[in-house]
Amino acid sequence: MSIRIVTDSTADLPAALAQELNISVVPSNVVIDDVNYRDGIDLTPEEFYRRLIAGPRLPTTSQPSVGAFQAVYQGLLEQGHEIVSLHVSGKLSGTVNSATQAKAALDDPAIAVIDSNLASIALALVVVKAAQAARQSDSYQEVAEQVRRDLGQTGVFFFVDTLEYLQKGGRIGKAQAFVGSLLHVKPILTLQEGEVHPLERQRNRERAMRRIVELTGERGPVQQLAVAYSTEPTWADDLRGRLSDLLPAEQIITSRFGPAIGTYVGPGALGLAYTAAA
Amino acid sequence: MEVLQGKDLAQAWTAGLRCLEHYRDTLNALNVYPVPDGDTGTNMLLTMKAGIERVAQVEGGGVAAVAAGLADGAFWEARGNSGVILSQFFKGLAQGLADKEVCAAADLTAALRAASDAAYRSVGNPVEGTMLTVIRCAAEALEQAGEKTAAADCLAHWQTALAAARSALDNTPELLPRLKEAGVVDAGGMGIVVILGGAYAHLTGPEGEQWDLGLPTAAGPVDPSQRTAAVESDFLDASTEGEWGYCTQFLIQGDGLDLEKVRADLAETAESLVIVGDERVIRVHIHIGDPGAALSYGVALGELSQIKIDNMNLQNQDWAAGHQAAQSGSSVSPSGPVSGLALVAVAPGDGLAQLFRDAGCAAVVSGGQTMNPSVAQLVNAAAAAGGREVILLPNNKNVAITAVQAAERENDAQQLYVIPTRTVAQGVAAALAFNAQLPAAANRQAMETAVAAVVSIEVTRAVRATTLDGVAVAEGDYMGLVEGDLAVVRDSPEAALLSALGGIDLSEDHIVTLYRGAEAAEETAAAAARSIEEKTPGIQVDLVYGGQPHYPYFAAVE
Repeated sequence: MSIRIVTDSTADLPAALAQELNISVVPSNVVIDDVNYRDGIDLTPEEFYRRLIAGPRLPTTSQPSVGAFQAVYQGLLEQGHEIVSLHVSGKLSGTVNSATQAKAALDDPAIAVIDSNLASIALALVVVKAAQAARQSDSYQEVAEQVRRDLGQTGVFFFVDTLEYLQKGGRIGKAQAFVGSLLHVKPILTLQEGEVHPLERQRNRERAMRRIVELTGERGPVQQLAVAYSTEPTWADDLRGRLSDLLPAEQIITSRFGPAIGTYVGPGALGLAYTAAA
Repeated sequence: MEVLQGKDLAQAWTAGLRCLEHYRDTLNALNVYPVPDGDTGTNMLLTMKAGIERVAQVEGGGVAAVAAGLADGAFWEARGNSGVILSQFFKGLAQGLADKEVCAAADLTAALRAASDAAYRSVGNPVEGTMLTVIRCAAEALEQAGEKTAAADCLAHWQTALAAARSALDNTPELLPRLKEAGVVDAGGMGIVVILGGAYAHLTGPEGEQWDLGLPTAAGPVDPSQRTAAVESDFLDASTEGEWGYCTQFLIQGDGLDLEKVRADLAETAESLVIVGDERVIRVHIHIGDPGAALSYGVALGELSQIKIDNMNLQNQDWAAGHQAAQSGSSVSPSGPVSGLALVAVAPGDGLAQLFRDAGCAAVVSGGQTMNPSVAQLVNAAAAAGGREVILLPNNKNVAITAVQAAERENDAQQLYVIPTRTVAQGVAAALAFNAQLPAAANRQAMETAVAAVVSIEVTRAVRATTLDGVAVAEGDYMGLVEGDLAVVRDSPEAALLSALGGIDLSEDHIVTLYRGAEAAEETAAAAARSIEEKTPGIQVDLVYGGQPHYPYFAAVE
């Protein structure tokens, strides 16, 4: 009997890493022009961002169905696994509700559903760490407890080119206060208590990038780092290059904001997630 | 005249005000810097006028009541450095005369000493050769005279003070080199002499409006009437804006309250009165231009509670802004504070006002170099902004002191902090560092750090010829000021801007923000921005419309 980790596509977990660590990813749904796409399966990021920028209407997202979770859980349970299921903040998405309902619908209780209060690469870091812990544990409760203990160590800083997508998508949270500057500013945002939270406004990308590296450095030594971009891979390379003081480059996860997250951060976004050393 | 009655003092100060009115243009013209400026004469006049209006409401009071009324009225309408110092001068006088029914010569001595001390305390860094010196010399002259003659005559005392003030005024260029260079005496100091002189003229003779005090006038070929007219119309636009603007409600609790009198008194300055109650409690609901005055009136009668002030002008603007946004399909930017912390800025020009609002200011007070807002305007804006704590950005060196005075008012419901921004460039940097989600202390620190990282440039036209720091300036020249000091003189605004920027070692790491004034054409400004970019490849230059008067350009280098 072993323990498996389940997450959802808003974690922006690179597919290769998911495969390597036996992590199951349940896709969110993205609807563009009345057509439903499964995040990361039916829609490539290139195609998604092209349509996000050019399309007449903004895409919408919806959480995975209860059935989608049930199918994944059932498959793993039948193989004799226990499950720790880690998901995007319940304040940003109903995903964790679907997971909880799926668990309730099944009789087997060997599933721990956890609201990470995080999203995207910050969630990915927690998921990766949970998968590593799962290999050395024979109790899903023990893994779940450790995950809950470690959640406070993980955070994310990101900046967007425009707050328009977060605002129109209804996920702007307290960063509403940063909307509407006549001067072009790069708002630096974070997730706090599961919601988008404004930190500061920088006047260009260079300064924003410098600041998110500084802010991460202020958290002390780190054990994990991840960077993610929406449309500009060279920015992610640039950012990774600035993190060498914090962690060796080969240990830094590089990812791309997938359609579910991309719907809200929009083009020209860049993020940096960290897990502080215990 | 051995002692002054309250009535004598009230009439003397009223005469002082009329004399100030007479000399207003002379005072306005006494500018050291040949820049369009917040005029000293106008600022002192409006400050004192509010005090005298309050005095007129004090009927049959002793000198203490008259002095207190003068001080209180002046406090709220104080604007500009000279106005704030004058209001503190009156406040000191009131402290010196507290509990006095009449004013004897010795009382005058003590009061003037208290006034001098209060005036010095009101500025962070007292400079000699200014109105402070004039006030202090008058106070010292009385102290010396008092030692010689034990029971001096009050009128003789006043004359002694006036003579000392006058002689100190004449001496100001010796103390302050920039006055000497410009060939003028200190304007605020002259204001003090004018007020004391006007009062003295009333006390000694029949009312004849003989205000000629034989004072020197401004050097330089400036036509004060013309310039004042221009400034005045801007200024009046700014000050009439708030008329009937605040829906003000409060409860007065006291003993033997006179409902009819409260109604009659408030009817003089307010509209839409709903005033109900009895002799122990009165509920007031009014629309008034200056809620501060209504509250002061109420608090003189008893305990105030349930105070609620809404700015109807802002509500109207919000509605209009929302309406426009809805039409253009974009969303409404937040106007109210999202927490107990709000930001309020002073901005000249419609573009800058919009920029500050968009950057998160809950209220913006129209004003700046040529239109110094009063303490009451700042306090009202803070009240309208509504936070339990308000951070105030004066964005001009002539407004900074008014903001500090506003912050010192007594109000348990709202704490005011001032980030002493001296330029619009500093103000914008501070506003962008504001985050209502963080505590006031963290914000103040972040904003002060942001302000320190900005170099401010201002370009304006010389309103008269002069010599400044050894540089000859002709009327009509464009001056580039860096951090408030004259750096370059050129024949066009763009040349002055580029030349001032040339003095800074720009690199591609810098960001230059240009705030285009009302007088600068969009295309000319865009060309200037391009030429900055060409000179320093890779530099970021942001050009935005500021709409400020008199200054074709403000620039920030970060």
